[in-house]
Amino acid sequence: MKLAPLICAVLLSASLSVAAQGNLEVDSPAIGALKQSMHQRHSQLAPLYQSGAVGLAGDGTVALHSAGSVPLAQRGQVNALIAAENADRRALYREIARANGHPEWESDVRNTFAQRWVQRAQSGWWVQQGGGWVQK
Amino acid sequence: MALLSLPLTASALGTLVFAVGRVEHPAFALQGLQFDFPAGGRARLSIARLRVVDRHWRNVRLDCAHGSLDGATVRCEGGVLRLAGLPHPLQISFQLDLAARAGTLGIAMPDGARLNARLLTDGSVQATVTGFDLGVLPAWLPRLKAWSPGGRFDGELKWHPTRMFELKGRLAGGAFGSEDGLRAAEKVALDVRVDAALKSDRWEWTAELGWRDGATYLHPFFIEAGPSLRAHGQVQQGVLDIREASVTLEGVEQLAASALLNLHTGQFDRVAVALAGADLAVVGPRWLAPIMAPAAGGRLRFAGRVSGALEFEHGRLRLLDAVFDEAGFSLVGGDGGPGLAFGPLSGYVPWRDGLPTRGALRVGGGRWQKLALGAFDLGVDIDDRRIRFDRLRIPLLDGALVFDGLVLDGGDTDTDWTGKGSLVIEPLSMHLLTEALDLPSMSGVLSGSIPGLRASPGEVVFDGTTVVSVFDGYLRATGLRVLEPFGVGSHLTADIEAHHLDLAQLTETFSFGSITGFVDADVRGLELVRWRPTGFDAKVSSSEGRYPRRISQRAVQNISSLGGPGAIAAIQRSLLGFFDTFGYREIGLGCVLKAGVCEMSGIDGNAEAERFVIVSGGGIPALDVIGYNRRVDWRELVERLQRVIAGNAAAEVR
Repeated sequence: MKLAPLICAVLLSASLSVAAQGNLEVDSPAIGALKQSMHQRHSQLAPLYQSGAVGLAGDGTVALHSAGSVPLAQRGQVNALIAAENADRRALYREIARANGHPEWESDVRNTFAQRWVQRAQSGWWVQQGGGWVQK
Repeated sequence: MALLSLPLTASALGTLVFAVGRVEHPAFALQGLQFDFPAGGRARLSIARLRVVDRHWRNVRLDCAHGSLDGATVRCEGGVLRLAGLPHPLQISFQLDLAARAGTLGIAMPDGARLNARLLTDGSVQATVTGFDLGVLPAWLPRLKAWSPGGRFDGELKWHPTRMFELKGRLAGGAFGSEDGLRAAEKVALDVRVDAALKSDRWEWTAELGWRDGATYLHPFFIEAGPSLRAHGQVQQGVLDIREASVTLEGVEQLAASALLNLHTGQFDRVAVALAGADLAVVGPRWLAPIMAPAAGGRLRFAGRVSGALEFEHGRLRLLDAVFDEAGFSLVGGDGGPGLAFGPLSGYVPWRDGLPTRGALRVGGGRWQKLALGAFDLGVDIDDRRIRFDRLRIPLLDGALVFDGLVLDGGDTDTDWTGKGSLVIEPLSMHLLTEALDLPSMSGVLSGSIPGLRASPGEVVFDGTTVVSVFDGYLRATGLRVLEPFGVGSHLTADIEAHHLDLAQLTETFSFGSITGFVDADVRGLELVRWRPTGFDAKVSSSEGRYPRRISQRAVQNISSLGGPGAIAAIQRSLLGFFDTFGYREIGLGCVLKAGVCEMSGIDGNAEAERFVIVSGGGIPALDVIGYNRRVDWRELVERLQRVIAGNAAAEVR
């Protein structure tokens, strides 16, 4: 009876270590197109990160943090911008997992990227940690 | 109003004291009032307990610069009232005839706002409010603090002793904003009229609102001034019952709603909305796109009309009915191309929380990329977040796409939906298909059987076989997957085999010169990004069997131009000028495309050798076409091929 949890733990650690060996820098035309799309959008998102309107969520997406600083008429556009960015981010995580030959690694890729985004966030940006928002 | 008076008393020091036990009104209550009139014309009003709406104070004091008691008339002028929670004292003057129960009251705020009220002998009250700042409301109603209300209100209030009141006025520069900014309004100008009457234990009311200016953002909707509202209902035991609200909204013929608002929690317990004759071209971008596809809102197009109903309970959707009338929906492609479109579309789609329903739509047609889709009927069984489609036959050219057992399961979240079913492609004429796609005309037929059609976020898998009979042979595509179909990273992968393609037809179709004979092709791991190849391992080789094998001078030149400089053995170049056609024994060309580079190979497939034979001569006259550059930039190769097909560039022969 006690073996079952142990096996589960070993399998889990094995799967995590396999995932850890994945290449997050892997490239493909689709990944290139997604990165380019995100890069182009970043010029619109950067001031929103800086103002605190948009923050980096804990699940590797971006989220509305405090829209109060955004002019009313543009809040819908910010919402659309966030949705577009998250669609690209989710696609990027799936593509990187696929390009590594392991589509099932998607959640691991997403978690790793989530940590990366938070680590690389600039001073003053809002990031989600432990379920709450923190300003870096 | 109940007035309980206590007797007047005068002390030996000449101070007059006048006390009132209690004054009550639905909107306010005063208890333990005491007027002191010390010598010198001043006056002071002490209130042991004061209630305004649901805010309570104790030991409130009003100091009057001038006060008097003349018979039964109490006067206070230049009074100053300080209340805990209010940032500034109130300037108050009043005159009250206790015998006649009549009087006047004036309240001035430091910011210029004024309230002037008259208490008439019949018990009615008439009040005017000028420049009242909504920003002070949180001091009276702390629950509003999180909404940061603002704006100025001017209006009139009439209170009748029969417990009726009328309020009409105008809000200017109205604003509010939740802390997260998801609900906010700015520069709102609103005309308001409310009539209410107390009937036994409930207030019955009617209201009219006219929104003249400003805008609001109620996530995810941005709404500008224009709508107006007429509503009636009642208030009872802390619940605001909006029995019927009629809203005029641009693009909607009729919009009605009812709701129950819990005044204690500030939450709607129930909301029901019904609309008729909504113009989708107007309401679609404003109300549907932000919910359906915020990321693609700019690419969504709407047309036609929709009617329907929605019901929410405690914020949860319980019912949805949609009736479409000649509606149209289209999604422009991510690359600006024609994308996907359906319509005109008419029919009924119902949804009930926890109950199965059935919907039926008649779709007049559609378009996918450059392909026009014919009319079809769409029957669906809906059960919560699961939709099961009836057998669905979508006419396409002279054939059809037939989906069977198609089921979409919404999953627990928006990002874990799945779909499955099977697809049969009834034979399509290649002549019509190539014509529709602006490709060189080909004869033949395309058909397919995909028993394992599966879809999930970011992936559509076609587990089956699609066969194209073309050029007297056939192409067979298997392992077809469309990845990230609606995003910028959209790409497609497949394996393709071709058998016994007639080179004479093929080369004629693509104006490649003339080759007689047959070829097989094997393309593994084909990857297309935006319909352009980005990866594959392809091999084309002569088919087995005995058949005439001739290649024209033009085809030799074209193949050699694809193979790059020096593709023909120098000793044989002079032959080209003398003969129109040449015999060949075998043709073979391979390309492994990776990272934009085509690693080429020839008949022998020997990747180590520097040179590779593309055409091996045979018969008389004969010549070999040999490639010397194994690594070729794919883009350059495609440009060469396009130039060859277009006939704009003469092949280089050296």
